[in-house]
Amino acid sequence: MSLSYSNYTNSPCAACKFLRRKCTSDCVFAPYFPPEEPLKFANVHRIFGASNVSKILHEVAPHQREDAVNSLAYEAEARLKDPVYGCVGAISVLQREVLRLQRELEETNVDLMRYASCLGGETSAYGGRRG
Amino acid sequence: MSQIKTIHNPIGSLERFLDLLLISLIVYMTLKGGTSGACAACKYQRRRCAADCPLAPYFPAEQPKLFQNVHRLFGVRSIVKILENLDELQRPEAMKSIIFQSYVRDRNPVHGCLGITQQLQYMIWVAEEELKAVNSQLQLYRNGQNHPNPHNMMIHELGEKQDLTSQLDLGMGLPVNDNNQGNNTIPFFSPVSETQPQPPHMSYCSDQVNNHDYNPTPDSCKEIVNNHNTSLAWGQNQFPYNHHNYGFINQNEHCSETKNNNSVMAIQSQLVNLQMASNQQEEEVDDQNYDEIHQFLEIIDESQSFTETKEVYASSSGESLKEPIDEVGEKELRRAATCFSLTSVN
Repeated sequence: MSLSYSNYTNSPCAACKFLRRKCTSDCVFAPYFPPEEPLKFANVHRIFGASNVSKILHEVAPHQREDAVNSLAYEAEARLKDPVYGCVGAISVLQREVLRLQRELEETNVDLMRYASCLGGETSAYGGRRG
Repeated sequence: MSQIKTIHNPIGSLERFLDLLLISLIVYMTLKGGTSGACAACKYQRRRCAADCPLAPYFPAEQPKLFQNVHRLFGVRSIVKILENLDELQRPEAMKSIIFQSYVRDRNPVHGCLGITQQLQYMIWVAEEELKAVNSQLQLYRNGQNHPNPHNMMIHELGEKQDLTSQLDLGMGLPVNDNNQGNNTIPFFSPVSETQPQPPHMSYCSDQVNNHDYNPTPDSCKEIVNNHNTSLAWGQNQFPYNHHNYGFINQNEHCSETKNNNSVMAIQSQLVNLQMASNQQEEEVDDQNYDEIHQFLEIIDESQSFTETKEVYASSSGESLKEPIDEVGEKELRRAATCFSLTSVN
């Protein structure tokens, strides 16, 4: 029994627990689905399926897998909360907010330009600073 | 002669019968939607497309990539399960969001929609900081204080290094991220919480940098999902798989420009650009990238005002996959953006 493979000696990962299978040392899910977070894998499996997640993990580089898993977990949770729009609803809300802020910024900049031009007019009247 | 005619008549009627059968078959296939008749989903799975195929309305045969993406991410069983739990009216909307999500995941296999969410959050933060700076400057003007030096710096010094101290003296008080020197971290604020002394740091690194300090599931993203149970009004445009330039970029590319600037300088340069030329946003890579994302998302969002939404919504559901997409300019985007609508679900 190898002690260097913690998955073999410790409890199985959340994925293998959920799937009721042996958690081997080369389990692709083990580093990203710790047994303390069973809901994370449950959500991901419910929406995407374990085989799809496994394929995605094999397609990305090892150093990016954690990010990929976390983004999948976020999307799965969002889809469970909102089955119609999922995480796309949040994107739409944020997009609207960005547009609103940009509109407000443009309007404020127009005001600022007006003040600036007034100031420029004053300075040119007093010393011709502006050519 | 009459007997010969009698013998040949059955053969003639058989030919006529075969002709009629062929014609009816052609008509049937045409009604089914083409010479093959199967939707993209059934084609991909190599099975017969039944008349009541639940996926056929959402995956036309001429866009196989749509279904491939969805199949890759969700799988058929998952989609069918999702659709079964929804009403008839909600199914087209759900499918559009699923198709969009799959498309984004195809373009960005690591971060998917979460990447876009965080990118938008970052843009909101930048815009809010700009707004704060401009408002404080306006306040100074309104209070009648004449500061010609800041004025010149704002208007004339485009992209040059600016005196940070003088900017701060004007009360702009922008939070500067001192970590920009080496590890390329850029803070982002949650748009939901107003006060956030230590925003979670997120590094938008270049492709070669591996040391991510990246938390792809920030609570702010979850808060947005929790707090905004609104339905979208989708657009009437077809899903843009006919375009080559879908407009999505790797978020690392987006941030690689911004990371090179001090946050104050970035804000100042953006402020000046907005002042000088509101239509020249293509100069900024991050604005261009946003325009591309916005262009794509705008295609999905319905460009109608809320008062017109109900009528349009009723007519747009089911028709959204039929109309072609037009490339829109910046002004049209903004015009359409003013008409975004939200309808509450409950």
